[in-house]
Amino acid sequence: MTSSVLSTLAEYFRDVFRGARSLFGSFMTALPYLLNVNSGDLRKEVTEQYPDPVSSKTADDLPPRTRGLLFNDIDRCSACRECEWVCPVHCIEVETQSVPADAKVWVSKFDIDFAKCIFCGLCVEVCQPASLIHTKQFEGSVYDVRDLKKSFGRGPIGEDQRRKWARAQALDEGREDPKRGEWPS
Amino acid sequence: MITAWQSILNLPEHTPHAVVMILVLIISYLFVVLPCSLIMAFMERKLSADLQARVGPNRSGPAGFFQPVSDALKLMQKVDSPSSNRAEAIWLGIAGMALYSTVAVLPLGSLILLVDTDMSVFLPFWGVIVLTFATLMMGLTQDTVSGWLGGLRTSLRGMAGVFPALIAVLCAGLPAGGFSWSHIAAAQSAAPYHWTAFNNPFGAISLIVFLMSGMIVLGVAPLDGAISFSELRGGTAAHLSGPKLGMFRLSRFYGMFLWCVMAVVLFLGGWSIPEGLTEALRDSNSFGVIVLIELFVLLIKTFAVMLLIVMFSQVTPRMRVDQVTDLNWKVLSPFSLISLVGFAFWTAWLHG
Repeated sequence: MTSSVLSTLAEYFRDVFRGARSLFGSFMTALPYLLNVNSGDLRKEVTEQYPDPVSSKTADDLPPRTRGLLFNDIDRCSACRECEWVCPVHCIEVETQSVPADAKVWVSKFDIDFAKCIFCGLCVEVCQPASLIHTKQFEGSVYDVRDLKKSFGRGPIGEDQRRKWARAQALDEGREDPKRGEWPS
Repeated sequence: MITAWQSILNLPEHTPHAVVMILVLIISYLFVVLPCSLIMAFMERKLSADLQARVGPNRSGPAGFFQPVSDALKLMQKVDSPSSNRAEAIWLGIAGMALYSTVAVLPLGSLILLVDTDMSVFLPFWGVIVLTFATLMMGLTQDTVSGWLGGLRTSLRGMAGVFPALIAVLCAGLPAGGFSWSHIAAAQSAAPYHWTAFNNPFGAISLIVFLMSGMIVLGVAPLDGAISFSELRGGTAAHLSGPKLGMFRLSRFYGMFLWCVMAVVLFLGGWSIPEGLTEALRDSNSFGVIVLIELFVLLIKTFAVMLLIVMFSQVTPRMRVDQVTDLNWKVLSPFSLISLVGFAFWTAWLHG
């Protein structure tokens, strides 16, 4: 299709005019933001300030579902390993040691490598005894990347612990008498 | 003008002119150009944050005012990139020298004009063209994809953008009858209807052409497609680090400052203050006060222009480099020529 010079020119000027009008419209849209009128609605700044003395906020002011560094309350942990299986980056390592039949499970190793952790929160969701939680701590920088591996385990079972269990078992079976102030566990 | 400066600086009568000039250059660089570049860097960040409903810099000083200073200090402490080479440093130095040599012709007031030749309006363009060429060479010496393509595209864009800008300068010089800053300033006055941008129907067009071509030449968003696309990672700046990057960034803001000042002097009345006030101050020999008032007027207008540019850069999506050059050759250049013809007829009708 051929078009005359005049219509091409008209088209060109119409395009330029449209561009200029659209630009003017954008300017008018941006003006309320600049003058900060109506600041109650979407134009309000929603930026979360970094919790430090300048913003006079602390880590506790963070939202309730903040996914900060993980913490495991090892006394409640049942070593079900759900967290270890669900973790998409395999940053949790759990090891247990065998214990006497009626004693609580012994979590000898519960390591979380925060260098790998992506803070997805899946481990917290699957944790049945709710021992694994997100704290609001978010500053984890260290000088050595190996320091990012946090251990929550009890470590290998020591002699003291074995003696304690043996004593408890003896008390249960009535082979020994309880001392003053000692209760069967 | 030299005598005015001698009285402002309390220099003895027989001081050589060269010494006065060097002193004035150092003073205007340290107390006008450098702070204004830093304020511009701050304003660009803060205003673009406002326009996007963000907070922007808020840590260093009140409302983050000293953010550019802390950025500069941080960049100065950084270790240079291990792969930096000497040729790159040389070209960066040439780019900086080309740009900062324009301080000598920077129109900051009727008394600060040191070099006021018949062609002084065109001298900053010399600096800008050398800057473009130095950026090209710097990119070519970097031996990286982003350096090569960034340098080539920067030079392409810079050479393109200078054309409509020069035509717009011709438009401003026509009614003034000369291309020295004092001619152009004398053709306007403190009243807005005497400014070149508003005293005839084509002034506004050439002002817009001048500002947009400046954004193209200096690579201000959103017309910075030559360096800002993801495959280029900053173009020639990708390879710079530490103090070199700081210098590169500062010269970018100096370029913006220079361009805004030129736009204000060419089209928006410059430093002009009401005639009676100037006469009264001149009679009472208070040159320092004249310099300060003129500088204040000029800088207020400059920052207003800067605000416009920041708004434009925040409300418009970024264009590809070919779209930028298209805009330049197909829209800005024809309109600059239209306004040149318009200015010519207008001036002939007015004076002929």
